[in-house]
Order: sequence, then structure tokens, then C-alpha cells
Amino acid sequence: MAEFLELLNYGFVIRALIAGALISICASVIGVILVLKHYSLIGHGLSEIGFASLSIAAALNLPYMLVSIPLMILSAFGILFVSQKFKSSGDNAIAIASTGALALGILINSLNNTGANIFSYLFGSVLAMSENDFWVSIILSILILAVYIIFYNRIFLTTYNSEYARSLGINSTFYDALISILTAFIVVAGMRITGTLLISGIIILPAMTAKNFSGGFLRITIIAGIISFLTFTAGIFLSLAFNTPAGAGIILVNIILMALIFIFKHHDR
Amino acid sequence: MNKFLSLENVNVNYGNFKALNNINFEMNAGELIFITGANGSGKSTFIKTIAGLIKIASGKILKPSKIAYVPQIETADRDFPATVFEIVITGMQRPRKLFYTRQDKQEAMKIINALGLENLVTRKLNTLSGGQYRRVFLARALCGKPELLLLDEPCAGLDIKSHRDFYDILAKINSDGTAIMIVTHDKGDFNEINYNRIIEISDGRILN
Ligand SMILES: Nc1ncnc2c1ncn2[C@@H]1O[C@H](COP(=O)(O)OP(=O)(O)OP(=O)(O)O)[C@@H](O)[C@H]1O
Ligand SMILES: [Mg+2]
Repeated sequence: MAEFLELLNYGFVIRALIAGALISICASVIGVILVLKHYSLIGHGLSEIGFASLSIAAALNLPYMLVSIPLMILSAFGILFVSQKFKSSGDNAIAIASTGALALGILINSLNNTGANIFSYLFGSVLAMSENDFWVSIILSILILAVYIIFYNRIFLTTYNSEYARSLGINSTFYDALISILTAFIVVAGMRITGTLLISGIIILPAMTAKNFSGGFLRITIIAGIISFLTFTAGIFLSLAFNTPAGAGIILVNIILMALIFIFKHHDR
Repeated sequence: MNKFLSLENVNVNYGNFKALNNINFEMNAGELIFITGANGSGKSTFIKTIAGLIKIASGKILKPSKIAYVPQIETADRDFPATVFEIVITGMQRPRKLFYTRQDKQEAMKIINALGLENLVTRKLNTLSGGQYRRVFLARALCGKPELLLLDEPCAGLDIKSHRDFYDILAKINSDGTAIMIVTHDKGDFNEINYNRIIEISDGRILN
């Protein structure tokens, strides 16, 4: 334990904890909406496209945010459009596009001879976060939370029933697009933590666990944020203790927690 | 005199399917009208068109500015994690207004009290009875202080007592001057409330 606490003397650990916790909380808050709208696949699709965008950025030797953010926003719109236009066959289209992006990313990476990078893209490297990444993550998280709070009432309404929202004269398509953009930002910000392979997990899992609790939308959202914070912290310390990728630890802690809560909720009394 | 609601030669299509066929219809302020007809005849399409949810292929619609629409209940997600209050207050949302005022919240509470939902404000939707659930949607619609209230099968699946209670509430709302349009299958509903007209829709046309 004392050794752990000693780790807190290192700037890089503190940075990782602060940025990671903030991003995790944002991710789970957006995740609640995606889960309730049955849009989980959007997060997953975007993460694989995120990997491709990282590879492209590395190949062109450009800052990864510069490449990722516009590419991800475009993709988010594309996925939203396809999934609304074609409903369930849209899911297939997203699966094809996202595995295609993954393949493209791997190809670019191997042509570019950056095998070492692949590993950090796929699995994340929150503890290796540069000071630059740190500030970008903080700013992105605050931006996401601010937009979420400003539009909270609208987001709730359009998530619950977009047709009813339209009957009030509210443009539900705009809010669908907003959610997609926020998801794209979350994926970009979170790729550092869990890597692109597991980012959809930190978006979706805390929300799914939170749904087991009773209470309204606000309460579920707050619970998801708390779960996300706790599982992130636990995952980071596991990764420090066993020297394993943080993302894997975070996801496994989430799944164990989900299972425990499920058992607790459904056991015979 | 200003017209309250009028539809002139209105056509609505879903793809190639003609869902509403040359509809001509007028309604006066304060009227209570039943819309009836077989499954799939176009009742919901008619009421959604008036609510502005469906684009018309041709024709003209004149309508009051404050319309509240209560959807057919089957279309609502009962398991959505939301409390009664969270749902009712959404009726206060307007374009270009992102936050609820304190007055919005007070008025929503007044409506909740008037509909006998005051003990349920923090209850989750999926813990409500059928009758309570309908009243939540009615309360949400009333938050908009509508001149015209559109209800799509508001009592489907309710027992006789809840039916009667619901229609008592509607009679009160109507007597305060709000025009009401009620879609129903159930001819028994016509005995529950004083109405002005019954309109029957068949294959996307108004019968007469
Ligand atoms: N979104 C849609 N796309 C295509 N066809 C539709 C759509 N909505 C309704 N329809 C069709 O339009 C017709 C009228 O539907 P509508 O829902 O208005 O009927 P209804 O009278 O309300 O029926 P019910 O009593 O079952 O509620 C039906 O044949 C239906 O299949
Ligand atoms: Mg109908």
C-alpha cells in the first residue's frame, strides 16, 4: 500500500488519474444515452475508425487530434445517417465500415513500419500520457460535460421519445447529431486510456451496470458516472500493481462489478 | 371569424401507400370530437398529421399554434429509466428555451396534483398502473397549455373505473375551453363524455 501511495508522487501518475477519471466520467454519461437509444454500436464503430485515424496521423506525421477529430466527426455523421436510414441493415453496414477501418489502420501501420505504435493505439497508454495529451484530454472532457449540461433537458427528451420532441417543435435530428459528435470526441479523448479496442467498453459498461439501479434518468446517469470513476481508479491501480495495460483492467473490473450487481439483484431471497 | 382548425384536400403518403386520401375537415374552438375507424384505417396518421409530425404530400392545413399530442401508448418505451416528474416536465420544453424556469416546475406540479399524481412524482414509469401511466402523458400534454389536445387511444386497455376517471378529467379540461380530439376504437367511450361529433375514418378517407 505504501508503495502505491508513493506512486502518487509521480506527476505522470497524477496526470493519468485526473485525465482518465474525467474522460471516464464523460464517457459513461454519454454511454447512458447510447445504451438507452440502442446506439451502442456507434461507439464501437467509431473506435475502430479511431484506430485508422491514429494510423493515418502517424503515417503523415501529424498531431493525432488534428487528424482524428475531423475524421471522427465525419464518421459519426456517416454512421448516424446509415443507421437511421437503413435501420437494422445499417448495423451490418457499420460493422463492415468499422472492420474495414481497422484493417486499413493495420495496413497503414505495417507499411509505415511503426509496429510499436500499434500496441499503444490498440491497448492505450494512459500512464505514458504526455503533458500535451493531458491538457487536450482535460479541455475535451470539460467541453463535453459543458455541452451535455447545457443541452441536458433536450438530450433527455429526444432520447426518451424523439417523435414527441418533434411534436413540441424540437429538432430531434440535431440532437442525434450532437450525441454522435460527443461520442466521437469521447472516443478521441479515451483512445489514450483504454486504446481503441476497448474504448467502447468504458462508454457502454458503466451505463449498463447503472441501469440495474432504480431511479430516473438523472440518477442513473450519476450512478454511471460514479461507477465509471471507481472502475477506472481500480483498473489503473491494478495496472500499476501488475504492470498490465490499464484499459484491460478497467474493462474487467467493470464486467466483474456488473456480474456482482446482477447476482445481487436477482438472487433468491 | 378566424378558423380554428381546417384541413383542405390533404393527402399523406407512406412511400407509394396513400394513407390519407383527400381529407377535408374543420373543427371549431372548444369542440370535442371522436375519431374512430378500423385498425389501419389511418386514425393515428390523421392525428399525427394535425400534430405536425407527418409531412403532407399536398393540401392545406390551418391550425392553432398550441397543440399538444399524446401518442398511442404502444409507441412509448415503458422501461425507460425516468421518473414521473422527469417525463411530465418535458411538456414545458419549447424551441429556443433550454432550461426549465421555477414557474415551469410549479405549474407542472399543479397539473400533477390536479391529475392525482402527486404521490407518484419520483416513481419510475415501469412501476405505474395503466391508468396512472395515461395520466402521466396527459399531464405532460397539459404542460403546454394547449388550445387543442390530440389523444391517440388514451384509454385502450384500461378498466371501466379508470376509463371513467380519465374521461372525467377530459370533461373538466374541455369545459375550461380546450378543444379535444380523441381517437378510439371503443364505441363505449361515446357514452362517457359529452361530444360534438364522431368522425369515422376508413381506408384513409373520412366517411360521411
Ligand atoms: N411509418 C409508416 N410507414 C408505412 N406505412 C405506415 C406507417 N405508419 C402507418 N402506416 C400504414 O398506414 C396505415 C394507417 O396507419 P395508422 O397507424 O394511421 O392506422 P390506425 O387507424 O391508427 O390503426 P390502429 O387502430 O391499429 O392504431 C396502415 O395501413 C399502416 O400500416
Ligand atoms: Mg393508431
